[in-house]
Amino acid sequence: MNKEQFLAKLNDALKRIPSSEREDILQDFREHFEIGISEGKTEEEVANGLGSPQQIAKEMVATYRLEQVTESASTGNVLRAVWAVIGLGFFNLVIVLGPFIALAGFVLSGWLAGVSFIVSPILYLINVVIYPEIFAWYDLFFALFLSGVGIFIAIGMFYVTRWLFKGFVKYLNFNMRMVKGGMKHA
Amino acid sequence: MNVQFKKGVLELCVLVLLDKQDRYGYELVQKISDQIAISEGSVYPLLRRLTKEGYFTTYLKESSEGPSRKYYALTEEGRSYLGELLADWEKFTNGVNQLIKEGVRDE
Repeated sequence: MNKEQFLAKLNDALKRIPSSEREDILQDFREHFEIGISEGKTEEEVANGLGSPQQIAKEMVATYRLEQVTESASTGNVLRAVWAVIGLGFFNLVIVLGPFIALAGFVLSGWLAGVSFIVSPILYLINVVIYPEIFAWYDLFFALFLSGVGIFIAIGMFYVTRWLFKGFVKYLNFNMRMVKGGMKHA
Repeated sequence: MNVQFKKGVLELCVLVLLDKQDRYGYELVQKISDQIAISEGSVYPLLRRLTKEGYFTTYLKESSEGPSRKYYALTEEGRSYLGELLADWEKFTNGVNQLIKEGVRDE
């Protein structure tokens, strides 16, 4: 692989990074090539030493995604960051995806419980409209009580969700530092 | 050697190299790969991340031979982070060395 091929592959793999930042990254590698060549190396030797442009790009993209998610932890950003960090290696599939699915499952079930509690009086009334003979005050009050509990669960889940996602972003950052691939003989 | 381990060490190496003087990317890569087997390209994502985290600042400087080079300089934050990493590293290597010593003696 010569300099042009290396840079083209890197550029290709960095498509998801905005062009100003991508240009900055490419410039670092152009500089690396130029100095290497001025020291008498061939383009191929420099490219070989650098390793796979795809792997380099993966790490750059993961860093970029994490930076985005640190700026604003929207669901889309969190998902993209999880995906980018998983892309760094199979090991990460287990240690990132596992906790993420557990976390997402917990958050989802919490919200489902809260929301279904909140709407239970409505569901009960619908049921009564369809089968008027089963109406009982006790059931209606119980449904109203559940609705109240549901509101508390939903408020709780709001804070829990925010807190969990923030924590998870920290975990991703930690993971990024400790587990990234890209080394020889690894 | 295990990836996880090497990654942490690579970060320490870069910080240590910048402690006494500012250096450019190529120089950092060469210094490290002279001592340990690394995929040279992986130093650049690391430099970028540590710069974004505020541990380095960068500036361009003309070079006598050829185009200007991007130099990396350690910030105060970077220096205190280096101190933390060094303390961790010493504790870790002392522990491992101690275990090796005991292990060898027992045999």
